[in-house]
Amino acid sequence: MISLSSIDRAQAFRYMGLHGKPDDKMQKMADDAEKDLLARIQPRYCWKAFQKKNLEKVLIGEDIQKHLESCELVILFCATLSQSADACIRLAQAVDVLAGMMTDAMASALTEQLCDEVEKEILENFPAMYSTWRFSPGYGDMPLSVQNDFLNLINAEKRLGICVSGGGLLIPTKSVTAIIGISGEPLPKSKKGCAICNLSKTCPYRMKGVHCS
Amino acid sequence: MNLRERLKNHEFILLDGGMGTMLQSAGLELGGIPEMLNFTNPDLITGIHEAYVKSGSEVIYTNTFGANRLKMAKTHKSVQQIIRAAIANAKKANPEYIALDIGPIGQLLEPAGTLKFEEAYDIFREQIEAGQDADLYIFETMTDLLEVRAGVLAAKEYGNGKPILVTMSFEENGRTFTGCEIPAMALTLEGLGVDAIGVNCSLGPEELTPIVKQLCEWTNLPVIVKPNAGLPDPVTNEYHFDAERFGRCCKEFAGMGAVIFGGCCGTTPEHVKALADMLKEQKPVRRRPEIPAAVCSANKTVIINQPRIIGERINPTGKKRFKQALIEHDTDYILNQAIQQIEAGADILDVNVGLPEIDETEMMQTAVKAIQGITDTPLQLDTTKPDALEAGLRIYNGKPIVNSVNGEEDSMNTVLPLVKKYGAAVVGLTLDKNGIPKTAQGRFEIAERILNRALSIGIRREDVYIDCLTLTASAEQAGVMETLEAVRRVKQELGLKTVLGVSNISFGLPSRELVTRNFLTMALYAGLDLPIINPNTESMTSAVRTYKLLANIDKNAVDFIAHYGGENAQTSAPSKPQSADMTLEAAVSAGLKSEAGAITSVLLENTEPMHIVNQYLIPALDKAGMEFEKGKIFLPQLISSASAAQSAFEVIKSYLCEHSTETVNRGTIVLATVKGDIHDIGKNIVKILLENYGYQVIDLGKDVSYEAVADATEKSHAPLVGLSALMTTTLPSMENTIKLLHERCPWCKTVVGGAVLTADYAEQIGADFYAKDAKETVDIAKQVFGN
Repeated sequence: MISLSSIDRAQAFRYMGLHGKPDDKMQKMADDAEKDLLARIQPRYCWKAFQKKNLEKVLIGEDIQKHLESCELVILFCATLSQSADACIRLAQAVDVLAGMMTDAMASALTEQLCDEVEKEILENFPAMYSTWRFSPGYGDMPLSVQNDFLNLINAEKRLGICVSGGGLLIPTKSVTAIIGISGEPLPKSKKGCAICNLSKTCPYRMKGVHCS
Repeated sequence: MNLRERLKNHEFILLDGGMGTMLQSAGLELGGIPEMLNFTNPDLITGIHEAYVKSGSEVIYTNTFGANRLKMAKTHKSVQQIIRAAIANAKKANPEYIALDIGPIGQLLEPAGTLKFEEAYDIFREQIEAGQDADLYIFETMTDLLEVRAGVLAAKEYGNGKPILVTMSFEENGRTFTGCEIPAMALTLEGLGVDAIGVNCSLGPEELTPIVKQLCEWTNLPVIVKPNAGLPDPVTNEYHFDAERFGRCCKEFAGMGAVIFGGCCGTTPEHVKALADMLKEQKPVRRRPEIPAAVCSANKTVIINQPRIIGERINPTGKKRFKQALIEHDTDYILNQAIQQIEAGADILDVNVGLPEIDETEMMQTAVKAIQGITDTPLQLDTTKPDALEAGLRIYNGKPIVNSVNGEEDSMNTVLPLVKKYGAAVVGLTLDKNGIPKTAQGRFEIAERILNRALSIGIRREDVYIDCLTLTASAEQAGVMETLEAVRRVKQELGLKTVLGVSNISFGLPSRELVTRNFLTMALYAGLDLPIINPNTESMTSAVRTYKLLANIDKNAVDFIAHYGGENAQTSAPSKPQSADMTLEAAVSAGLKSEAGAITSVLLENTEPMHIVNQYLIPALDKAGMEFEKGKIFLPQLISSASAAQSAFEVIKSYLCEHSTETVNRGTIVLATVKGDIHDIGKNIVKILLENYGYQVIDLGKDVSYEAVADATEKSHAPLVGLSALMTTTLPSMENTIKLLHERCPWCKTVVGGAVLTADYAEQIGADFYAKDAKETVDIAKQVFGN
């Protein structure tokens, strides 16, 4: 069972573009956002293992193909903080723009934490196997247009209440779809680099010659 | 026998079992579209229906769960073709009744998602119209109460009076994915006049037990139970309850009073046969639950079993600043009024947005949607215009209060049918064409008249609340006790809940708060349930809390101590602003909101408002902006300063509203997050900075259509339009919006921004400016407006 009892606020501050030591006001705002989010969210997730050959519909693009090159088994998973996270953000925003931004960043950090936990739980089912890092639609040349088929394959609409909006976005917004490749053989080391990131052209970290994480 | 009569008599009715399960075991391709099988393999579908009929199913669900225009867009068939084929396949199985099966649309409605209520309604209308040959309509596996309301309204308005059944899917915490709870579902749907409600999918019979029990306590309608065959195996996703165990578990539901049964995921004709066998041994239990007076939003129910505070502040009467906010379409201002009142202790919020200068019907919808987007607190829709009332009732998510009807024929004929149609509660004012009766007896008689009329058209007694009307003590001193006597009698003799706006009592007297507070306590003792007050006035809210303590409602003084005990004790004393020695610049620079507001109030005593803006606020913001550019402070600190400046601005705006016709306006700018995109934090940051510099921002919100941007720009003749998009997928929307602006508003310049945008791309899509951050947008605005 996955439990989330605190939020990685260093990560949240980084999402907000806050460098150095945050002052008391920021810490207090982070406390409030954390309390509100943890009290209200209902984290949910589901996953399923597929033979790679059955996933032609969603494994589109060279980058994902390369990512899964040595894997026969592919996990699709989906996780969400639920609509309550969006509700927390809307409310915080209505009170104060900065509180809204803080709640949004804290929720994003929490989503990553949830995915880390889900990944851990999934991999427990595959002892003595090797896995890739998780790859999401929208990375590199993998189009976001696969989201609908992706959700259908693991029945995420019915099981988690996640859907794709007319504009192609996952809703609730603090939701993630991700792909993990599983192999019986050790996998070549690969890193999630800047090249496949959508923000590589405008990234403030890259402009300064550093990385986001 | 006629189906509706069987439903009314609470007879046992047997539905069918899983369709998806049967299709999968017949080899339906993973991720395939089951509705297409109505054409590609009609015999398979009819065969499944036949198997269920043979097992005892009286009602067969058509194979149309996802047959709506959005989900079927990828097929080459129309909704009409699919639904007609599915009904034909069901007919061949010769069941007693055919139910047009309607599942969720597959997109979330605003405010969580982007689908508009009206669009959802139209999607359902198309399905209902195509399904005219069915005997009834079933909405199943629903999780969003607002979506259900859209569907039920479509079925009511286009379904030729055929029965409507609704089942929603709950999680083990007793709520749906969207947070909807059982009492809210029951109150709302029984109010809307559906024929039976219940639960399906998501859980097995064992987990559903507490949920079904609660539902049986909250509705007089027949209760439907259509569970999964247990919980799915986490790895294989298969269901494990065999037919015998399934039937045995469902027997318990019959004992609770559920009467309509079926199976969902993992169930087969054997499971349905087990249900049929179980029902043969049982007799329907006729429940007689006592459902309390209550109102709700989808996620929160307020039971009127003790005094509940209705917050009165969302109302422009006598408030110039509020009027200005309405004229400027400033929903943020309204939302802040809502939040303040809830924090102060309001249980329900009155919403009055009536102003001759604006389109009240449109504003009512805007306000209701916006307030429901940020809070679960139920609302009271307060308007004299039937159009505005109906507009609000249509999109309200839950069961609201209507304020108000009175004893005049016209009023009763117009308002009560709307209350009935939308399943609201209603406030009845004890006045008629002859005015307000002087005596308690006169008001009692009008209350009785309103009640009888309401009952005669099918409104529940518990949903009629009576306002015996407060007159001012200074003008009609003798009337005060008449009002209280009327409250007492309406409560005791008619058994109705009572409402009273209390502030009027002290009009024209000194020490108004003293008079109002004491009258409030007297009224509560006389039987007032719903005081309409300003909850931000601590003496009012505390009077209600104290009454609840003394009347033994607040058991062990839990709530009272929580508010006034221990460290909260000082909070009732007015807090001192710590601004004596601080300058406005320092407050803005440190991002201190309340200080910035307090200092501005003091400054306004002997400084011109525009002088404060130009000499204090803008230089402070410029300084923050410069430090941001230099990397000395970061975006959060910049926003923090901007928020402080905003609260100073709010004080100045209120001052200007009261003291002059002057407004701060250095130019008008239209802002929008483009169609398809719902990430609006960036846009809101830009907005607050622009407002700080004195620009009037027309904020169109998020997911804004191209046309809406052009309309607003045309209407305001704004020289600058700012567009934001966060996702690569929504950049084409930005381009299309700019194209339309070039056609329709050639005078305007466009500035674009958003995480994935680059200067090159901005140029490529025809934008005049690219802003890398909020600060740069202000610089661009200064350039465009030359100020």
